[in-house]
Amino acid sequence: MNVVNVLRVPTLFWRALASINLTIVLCLLLAADVLWGYACIKWRTALFIPLNDLGIVPWIQTYGLGNLQHTSWFFLLLLLLAVLALNTASCTLERVRHLLAARASLPRLRLVAKLGPHIMHAAVLVILVGYLASYLYTEVVVGTVLLPGRSYTLPDNAGSITFTDFIHQPYQGIRLDVFQGEVIRPQAALVLRADGQTWEATLGYNRPVRLGGYSVHLDNFAPKKPGGMRLNKRIDLHIRKDPGVVLYLAGIAMFCLGIGAYMLDWRIFWEVRK
Amino acid sequence: MKTMLHRAVRKPCLLRLGPVLLACVLLLIAGCRQQDASQGDQPLGAETRPAFLQIGEFSVRHISPTRTEVRDGAGRTLVLIPRGAPLPEDCNPKQVVRTPVRRVAAYGYFDVATLRMLGVLDEVLVGVTVPEKEWAGCSPDIARGMQEGRIVYLGDASSIDFERLKQAEPELVLTWDPSAVPILDDLRIPAVITSTPQATCLNARMRYVQFLAPFFGREQEADHYFAKVDAALKEIRARTAASRMQPKVMWGDIYEKRVLVEPGNAWVGELVELAQSNYQFSDVFGTSCIEITVERFLYSGEDADIFFTYRTKDSGATSKAAIARMNPLIKNIAPLKHGRVYAPTPCYIQSMDRMDEILTEISAILHPDSYPAFQYQFFEELPATDPTASQAQSEVHP
Repeated sequence: MNVVNVLRVPTLFWRALASINLTIVLCLLLAADVLWGYACIKWRTALFIPLNDLGIVPWIQTYGLGNLQHTSWFFLLLLLLAVLALNTASCTLERVRHLLAARASLPRLRLVAKLGPHIMHAAVLVILVGYLASYLYTEVVVGTVLLPGRSYTLPDNAGSITFTDFIHQPYQGIRLDVFQGEVIRPQAALVLRADGQTWEATLGYNRPVRLGGYSVHLDNFAPKKPGGMRLNKRIDLHIRKDPGVVLYLAGIAMFCLGIGAYMLDWRIFWEVRK
Repeated sequence: MKTMLHRAVRKPCLLRLGPVLLACVLLLIAGCRQQDASQGDQPLGAETRPAFLQIGEFSVRHISPTRTEVRDGAGRTLVLIPRGAPLPEDCNPKQVVRTPVRRVAAYGYFDVATLRMLGVLDEVLVGVTVPEKEWAGCSPDIARGMQEGRIVYLGDASSIDFERLKQAEPELVLTWDPSAVPILDDLRIPAVITSTPQATCLNARMRYVQFLAPFFGREQEADHYFAKVDAALKEIRARTAASRMQPKVMWGDIYEKRVLVEPGNAWVGELVELAQSNYQFSDVFGTSCIEITVERFLYSGEDADIFFTYRTKDSGATSKAAIARMNPLIKNIAPLKHGRVYAPTPCYIQSMDRMDEILTEISAILHPDSYPAFQYQFFEELPATDPTASQAQSEVHP
């Protein structure tokens, strides 16, 4: 009897892991944890800024463990996300297993449509793994400053960036007087060199430049207002090589595929009703 | 029926999941704490010093007795290696600073004051960006160094004479200006960016000395200094705790239609709140000297009691009437009409090494009843109107 009970433990555990009730509990806990995190980030912003460039392991070893009263929510978030990922994976596998077992009784199109939500769940897992890869393996170059005419060479000679000119567009409207004359659309003209080729590019906020596997982002610039405080012309760059990006994109593509399949199911549903 | 039975079995399992998760988290935290405590790679003679110290956006991490990593205000990492120790192979030579640093050029008043806090100013400071005459009144040590030729004037901070800087042979430059970094890299002089994107909070302001201390091997001095300021802060809290009056305070000014104030996350905002007072811009978050709208400034000024202006007497803040003349837009704010207005003295900005006294003085301004007969050194209360020439003369020759 005991042996039978022991043998049933993995099955019960698997069922509990794949349970929708667990999903609901996890979502509620995640919501509460994120609220706690919001308060911590709001009052201790400086603690979390280095997470963008240090990576998760060095951050945990330093800022994370050094300030547990403000960072515990983050550890709990990681744990909850890990359990949610396991819950999603087991739930998806369980249902896909049932679907595939019943595939003989379903038309092929119907089967594909039924797989739609599971493809979306798998996509969420891929995106989560992408985030993990980003935080674990991203190579970041922080605080690179370029002055007009100066160049920066990427690590391992992957390419070079020369800042040629700063093209600023100041605000000339009358509605927002406080922004009068402020640079509202900063753009830096760059000359990029990689693999013996040279080309020009324009860098702006939300307009990064890709070079030699790195993405180059505009982090800051000066002066913010021509004729304002005397500051030298400069751009601050945030350069990163992020292996997680491929996974996000793959996850997004998978999610779109899942939505497509789900819409197919929805169409079938309406056709049946007709 | 089968499904219901399943549910009946499963529900208690799920209910038990919450405590299990909580236990996991506690175990994780406990494990981490144990690991943290067992780290035995701290520098010699620093048993009580934490392996990692976060100071606002700055940080210090003691990796081993021969390696300390610091993160500056721009997020750049510098590796501090004692003189004579081999250079690490895993970092860019441009990041390496040999300690203790013997020659420093400093852009900002606060950095100069921090060198004074550490007791190394006379030994290490070789260059500043403020001319001698401006140091003469409040920083005779620097004026004397400049007269003796130990300290050179490097030019205005926005147009440094890099030839002169090179001749001064600094081993480290403390600068708030990131645009200096590429040129300093060419000159092979390591630089520390001492400004941060967000305003420094009170704790970071008090602990900044602990960030610069490892560069000079003066950690003990930094700890003593912090303890002194911390004691002053505790004294302020104790003195003002019982105060019934909670004045409303604003700190900023208007320059050619631009309204600049200290945000709520800045050290002054936090100090005002800590000293049983209300900071009118406590909801404003961001960089020091942040720009807000005129309307917001005027709204906060409607019921404020005390106004701290950035301007000194030399820059025109001689009286409430003078401020109203310079900025007619704000002439009707409450502190200018019937409240109190304070302007910093020239010594305020140069005396951040006396931060305990500055904090106490601000507290005394907020609660004069708690500090009877307090002598002000760093701020002066502005009169309603400028004294006339005859009044001024009679004050000089009674």
